Amino acid sequence: MLEINDLKSRIGDSEILRGLSLSVNAGEVHAIMGPNGSGKSTLAQVIAGNDDYVVTGGEVKYKGEDLLGLEPEERAREGIFLGFQYPVEIPGVNNAYLLKAAVNARRRHQGLGEIDAFEFLKLAREKMATLGMDPKFLNRGVNEGFSGGEKKRNEILQMAMLEPSLAILDETDSGLDIDALKAVAQGVNTLRSPDRAIILITHYQRLLDYIEPDFVHVLSKGRIIRSGDKALALELEDKGYDWVREAVGT
Amino acid sequence: MRQVSLSIDGLRQAQNKLPNDALTVMRKAALANLDEHGLPTVRDEDWKYTDLDSAIDISNRWLAAGAASATSDSLAESIQSIVDSVVANWLVIANGEIDVTHFAATNGIEIERYSESAAPFSMDRPLADLNAALLHDGLRVQITAATEQPLGILIIDEANAGAAVSQASVKIEVAPGCDAEIVEYQSSAGDDDHYGNSVIALQVGQAATANYVRIQDRRIGHVQTGRLSVSMGKNSQLKMVSYDIGGGLIRNDLDVELGEPGSAATFDGLYLAGDGQHIDNHTRVDHRVGPALSSEEYRGILNGRCRAIWNGKAVVHEGADGTDASQENHNLLLSEHAEIDAKPELEIYADDVKCSHGTTVGQLDETALYYLCTRGLDKRVATQVLTHAFAADLVRRAPVAAAVDAITSLVESRLADLIGEAAS
Repeated sequence: MLEINDLKSRIGDSEILRGLSLSVNAGEVHAIMGPNGSGKSTLAQVIAGNDDYVVTGGEVKYKGEDLLGLEPEERAREGIFLGFQYPVEIPGVNNAYLLKAAVNARRRHQGLGEIDAFEFLKLAREKMATLGMDPKFLNRGVNEGFSGGEKKRNEILQMAMLEPSLAILDETDSGLDIDALKAVAQGVNTLRSPDRAIILITHYQRLLDYIEPDFVHVLSKGRIIRSGDKALALELEDKGYDWVREAVGT
Repeated sequence: MRQVSLSIDGLRQAQNKLPNDALTVMRKAALANLDEHGLPTVRDEDWKYTDLDSAIDISNRWLAAGAASATSDSLAESIQSIVDSVVANWLVIANGEIDVTHFAATNGIEIERYSESAAPFSMDRPLADLNAALLHDGLRVQITAATEQPLGILIIDEANAGAAVSQASVKIEVAPGCDAEIVEYQSSAGDDDHYGNSVIALQVGQAATANYVRIQDRRIGHVQTGRLSVSMGKNSQLKMVSYDIGGGLIRNDLDVELGEPGSAATFDGLYLAGDGQHIDNHTRVDHRVGPALSSEEYRGILNGRCRAIWNGKAVVHEGADGTDASQENHNLLLSEHAEIDAKPELEIYADDVKCSHGTTVGQLDETALYYLCTRGLDKRVATQVLTHAFAADLVRRAPVAAAVDAITSLVESRLADLIGEAAS
């Protein structure tokens, strides 16, 4: 699904990713953990196509093809979804409008017809119910005046509607109370499937109590310094990031 | 000095063709004032961006041709289409003539013509003098109780028989404690040049509320100057939003006088400009006592070869402690040929005041654009969506519910001309 080899990237003058390699297969859930500033969000933004981040080396292949040459909208239509750490408030753009436009952009790309209004509403309401979202959020401005938890649920709603092949969730768990965390985790677990890959970027182990990853990677100074299974996350929680850094001598 | 000056002889002849009635003395006094002071020029600080030469040129051609009221066969149809677009009780001033056929007598609204009442017309400024000098008749409207439908004031002009000029004057009084909804709609059409000049006064009584929508949708190329003067009573409220959709050379002056404590005035505006448009909004609020609140936000979307001006002045007079005044102006410039001159002006002569202002001129929010693109929207579509949203925010502030559909449709269709339609 995703092959990253020796990826290097900077924003402005600062080098953030310094030779990152990662391989993610369909059906897998990967957790990427690491301290602040280790490059977790940069990785997410580079995969989504944010041109503030300049790729200075390495390659990223998605479904066997070069990903880095594609515009963000092309990546989205190819099935890449990024759940933002800080979802953007867009007053005046209706949430339902964005959901429908996003779904239709993907459907058109797949050669499917546009979803009709009735079918769309039915689907959106179903997904919202499972996420514990009030249907009135459909008619609000995108993330406008949403609480932190509501914004994250809204990201998961978009993901659920778009049914991506590769979902990257950037600190979706930050700032969530336990109910919201469970709802978000359930939304993600529902999407687990043999033909879909999920990358969870998180600072804390807490999310992984609810979404069990197949692999856990520790990112430090722009490189993956250790990989393992979910036991690694527990160990990290217990001993802190300094432990890994010392153990691998960085 | 300006290239052309208004023909005072022509104005005198035009005046002599008007009936000898209760307004004659005022008309003559106004013309004498105008003769003495002349129209403002770009040397006047308040007029440095807006040159009235085209208004003068149209006026002189119209005067030379005999100063007849504009005529057009399609006028009745145009009036009907606007009247149908907003459910309101409509008073119409068509090519400068009062038409009450779309108005249904109702409890709560009393109307009187200037020629039948003692209502004086305003003559304190050159354009008000011009208005008074050529005015056929004006309307005094008293709103004494809340009504089911808003009051509509339609000022419409159609010039199809040579260049034409028309004047409109309305004085609206909202009685103490009364809630009023008012829609002012200025529109024009026709193949020939036109210059419309309006003077509107709005008096909001003690503890009264005025919800006021102003729509300007004149033909691209037509000229409009207009002044709306609002005076606010004790504990009164004004909620106003203006929409400038069309027009060639447009100059709107809005004056808000806060002379009694406890009043709150909110006046926002949206202007959309494309090729050949020049839209100038000058607002002035006078805080004479406190506590009182004024808040304004104007937004503009400019594309093509055009120019817009926003000049917001707030004067906090000595002793007006407890004043809260805020002014904002935000512009989206979508073309390198578009120009905006944005100027907030604060004059503060009191101590205990809270004043803020801010203006921005720029492009769309890159973060929001990127966010939409990561959801699969084309950059072009995302741009349109965000531009529509920038305007939609002002559309939904429209304080008169009956006008919202019409405003939405005018704004959407003008934006579709300017930037293309937002795909669904």
